[in-house]
Amino acid sequence: MTTGNAVAPRRESGRQVARANAIPSPAWTCRLRYRLRVALREPTTIIGLFAALLFAYLIVVPVVSILRDAVTVQFGDERRTAAEVGSLTTYYLSRAFTSPVAANLFWQPLRNTLMVAAGAIGIAVVVGTAIAWLICRTDMFARQWFATALIVPYMLPAWTFALAWTTLFKNRTVGGQAGWMESLGFSPPDWLAYGQVPITLILALHYAPFVILLFGSALRRFDSQLEDSARVLGAGRGAIALKIILPLMRPALMSAVVLIFAKCLGEFGVAYVLGLPVKYDVLATSLYRSIGSRQTGVAGVIAGAIMLIGIITILIDAYLVREAQRFVTVGGKGAMNRPARLGIWRWPATGFAAGVYAASVGVPLLTLFLSTVMRVPADFSWSNFTLDYWIGWNLPTVAMRTGILLSPDLWQAAFNTLWIVGLASTCSGLLGIITGYVVVRTPVRPLAAVLRQVTFMPYLVPGIAFAAAYLSLFAVPRGPIPALYGTSLILILALIADQMPYASRAGISAMMQLGRDPEEAAQVVGAGWLARMRLVVVPIQKGSLMTGILLPFISGIKGLSLFVMLAVPSTDVLTTFSMRLVDYHYTQAANAVVLIIAAIAYFGTLAAQKLTKTNLAEGLGS
Amino acid sequence: MPAIILENANKSYGAGSPNAVSNLDLEIANGEFMCLLGPSGCGKTTTLRMIAGLENLSGGEIRIGERVVDSISKGLFVGPEKRELGLVFQSYALWPHLTIERNTDFGLRLRKVPKAEREALVTRVMKALDIEKYRGRYPSQLSGGQQQRVALARMLVVNPGVLLLDEPLSNLDARLRLEMRAELKRIHAEFGTTIVFVTHDQWEAMTLATTIAVMNEGTLQQMGTPNDIYDRPANRFVAEFVGSPPINIFEIGDASHDVVGRHAVTFLTARLGPDADIGSLGLRPETIQIAGSADAVPGGSFADEAVVTGILPTGGSWIVELTSGGKKTFATANEAPRQKVGDTVWFHVRPAALHVFSRDGQRLERADDVLAQAAVQ
Ligand SMILES: Nc1ncnc2c1ncn2[C@@H]1O[C@H](COP(=O)(O)OP(=O)(O)OP(=O)(O)O)[C@@H](O)[C@H]1O
Ligand SMILES: [Mg+2]
Repeated sequence: MTTGNAVAPRRESGRQVARANAIPSPAWTCRLRYRLRVALREPTTIIGLFAALLFAYLIVVPVVSILRDAVTVQFGDERRTAAEVGSLTTYYLSRAFTSPVAANLFWQPLRNTLMVAAGAIGIAVVVGTAIAWLICRTDMFARQWFATALIVPYMLPAWTFALAWTTLFKNRTVGGQAGWMESLGFSPPDWLAYGQVPITLILALHYAPFVILLFGSALRRFDSQLEDSARVLGAGRGAIALKIILPLMRPALMSAVVLIFAKCLGEFGVAYVLGLPVKYDVLATSLYRSIGSRQTGVAGVIAGAIMLIGIITILIDAYLVREAQRFVTVGGKGAMNRPARLGIWRWPATGFAAGVYAASVGVPLLTLFLSTVMRVPADFSWSNFTLDYWIGWNLPTVAMRTGILLSPDLWQAAFNTLWIVGLASTCSGLLGIITGYVVVRTPVRPLAAVLRQVTFMPYLVPGIAFAAAYLSLFAVPRGPIPALYGTSLILILALIADQMPYASRAGISAMMQLGRDPEEAAQVVGAGWLARMRLVVVPIQKGSLMTGILLPFISGIKGLSLFVMLAVPSTDVLTTFSMRLVDYHYTQAANAVVLIIAAIAYFGTLAAQKLTKTNLAEGLGS
Repeated sequence: MPAIILENANKSYGAGSPNAVSNLDLEIANGEFMCLLGPSGCGKTTTLRMIAGLENLSGGEIRIGERVVDSISKGLFVGPEKRELGLVFQSYALWPHLTIERNTDFGLRLRKVPKAEREALVTRVMKALDIEKYRGRYPSQLSGGQQQRVALARMLVVNPGVLLLDEPLSNLDARLRLEMRAELKRIHAEFGTTIVFVTHDQWEAMTLATTIAVMNEGTLQQMGTPNDIYDRPANRFVAEFVGSPPINIFEIGDASHDVVGRHAVTFLTARLGPDADIGSLGLRPETIQIAGSADAVPGGSFADEAVVTGILPTGGSWIVELTSGGKKTFATANEAPRQKVGDTVWFHVRPAALHVFSRDGQRLERADDVLAQAAVQ
């Protein structure tokens, strides 16, 4: 008997393939020609190449340009640096980091930024987690209503609240109409009226919705069986909260914290309105000042620093997200939500939520509105009320002699906003779908990777730094491109670039969801690339395209930091227009404009949600 | 004339990953109904997609009719839209934004077929597939089976010479699947289409195909008629993959207890010489007969004593589990077995029913002739 051979015979191929590998493999030139042919058979790759070039120009070049500004001698600084324009220098670095003015330029603003961010994060986390828990896990009254109502602050521009705050607490440090407190005979001290305290509070209230949304959704997905098993083992409520729920919620919470920090880093409007009167600078306003005083080199350094902090933050966030994926149990489906009974605490809890709502939405908006219909602050007699600031004629002011709705400047600004932001959003929405298409479809994988990375880049760069980068690149003519500063084009380009992370992400995920099948089916029955686009891809993606345009549009309308750097009076949009009114102390008019913006942003968000059936939580961060 | 030829086709998804298809030679004749059969992940879909032009080759050549459509050495690649094939996806891939009618006439509109002709064609195909009443509906309003028929109709209207089907029946329930099988056979006859059909269901392959190509791990194992594949499996993989319950394999190496194996090896080496490379034997369950005692075993057949350790009725037929020397052997019977569990019986097979494989798993053809001539008394 022969001993069997242990080699498993299954791997061997049948006799039909006996001549395997008989053909010599073709030369590499053939392979290359073949590869090119396959890659260039359809325009996808060519379009992708063009898109990559466009993004390189819109995104990479400006960033490189401002970083180069930071280390090369700028025009006008030849004497101070004792070097020629364009040569390498460490002058700006030392000026921003080690010189006597460094404290004012960088370190103090950095400290302020960190303090404000830390304070805002602390308050937002405490208030946000409490609210999220009340909404998701208790029998508080009106939970459903609060669940949407308490998200509203995030739909409104942050400096809406800054203006409301000044309307209430302004003291004699700055001119213009007096604040309500002042008028009522109580003069708020500077620390209450301006600077760190109000900025921190406002940012906290503005960003608390992040915590409510992220923490809340994690709570909702939390498997209550985990809690039950602990209870069965004899753990008390406190122990469960501390030992089970909190550790599992930590990733979501950290994610919210990082997000808030990144947002605070680029936050300009609030610090501008409330910090300026007491010279309280954060990094964003310091950057703005450096640009304003034509210190391009220093601006480059500060912008670089902001980007660096931004990048580090995002990296931390990416790391945390990876960490969070290890807690898969959080996604368990045993989330039958048994709300905790609050007992006698039911009313106080509801009161707390109502208080947060009043502080973050009710009071600010009401204040703003009242301020636009009252001649003198805080005088509630009937005769003091007027609609003049909205629709009046011949007001007794130096400029702005008509009500805001009758002012051609408002309509010009509104018109500018609509067409500039509208055009930019449409472009970025389309570019996003194109990016998504190329990334998902091109056979040239490196191109897909490049497109993905480059379009994500602006996410790492706070808007204000990005605007500074645009200014640095386009302020002067370069090669065939004329100086764009002062034109609407620079605004549109900057907006497009700024919105690309969201647009491309939406585009990529939409294309991923679509899959290849519908297109391939069309291909097989004979549809070429254009026909497929026209008849299959675009019609199916109509919805995502709408979202991809609408969401950036809304965030563009309430955006300030890009415009404040790049807009000039002739290209005023609503946000910069209201800032100019603030600067000139036309309180009522400024507040009215801000209310208009808030209304557009709010109703726009609602409409977008209705229209596209998306959830706010998904558009978070845009 | 062959409709499709794959020559030494290779496909690898990215450097480093193993070949999804390697050195595949396949000839599909005109009018054939070819089934690609193989376990999950063996490269069936990849093969189909290469034929359709949805994947390009990493090596080799594909010709459709006289035309070279994909060849690296010739630097040629013809896109799927120019190959004039039909392809039905496993997921159907109907266009969700178009009605059934627009889904169906999509290809005709692209070809700018005049309206009257277009409608006539669409109606004819829709009638044939019994989906005319859903004309105005959208795909999401149809059941899986209906969608599948639309997917088929949309390809049939442009009357492709070759129809590629990727497991089109796998999402259907048993009854609908049977109906669709009949439907496909009818279409094959009625439209004269060459069909390449992917499945991992051997039953489907056996009942539908004129030719079956069995694949494993990206390589072709055997190509032949269903009977060929079943009766003369080219290697152990094919033998074991096709057939249910699966073929009984007797490894020769550990055959010390195994009387049938020993008996057969003695018989074969006596005729083929001592260097006959015998690695294993295969016995289809339905060729195994059961006798109550040694006397009832016909002379000249290979037999062994065994204990009945299980009887499994499968509705109209029975699977009998026999154990001898610790080894389990399965037999099937079309009548209720007279034995009970625990009985000692003799099982036996005709020599001609034996499949002999060499040590590297290939069919030992030399043994076939010898066994066929062995007489049974
Ligand atoms: N797009 C792809 N990228 C990388 N690998 C792939 C891709 N598509 C298939 N493969 C791999 O190629 C091999 C063959 O896959 P293929 O889809 O052809 O299998 P199949 O025979 O159709 O299997 P099934 O019966 O499960 O559909 C598998 O190992 C699979 O993992
Ligand atoms: Mg498959």
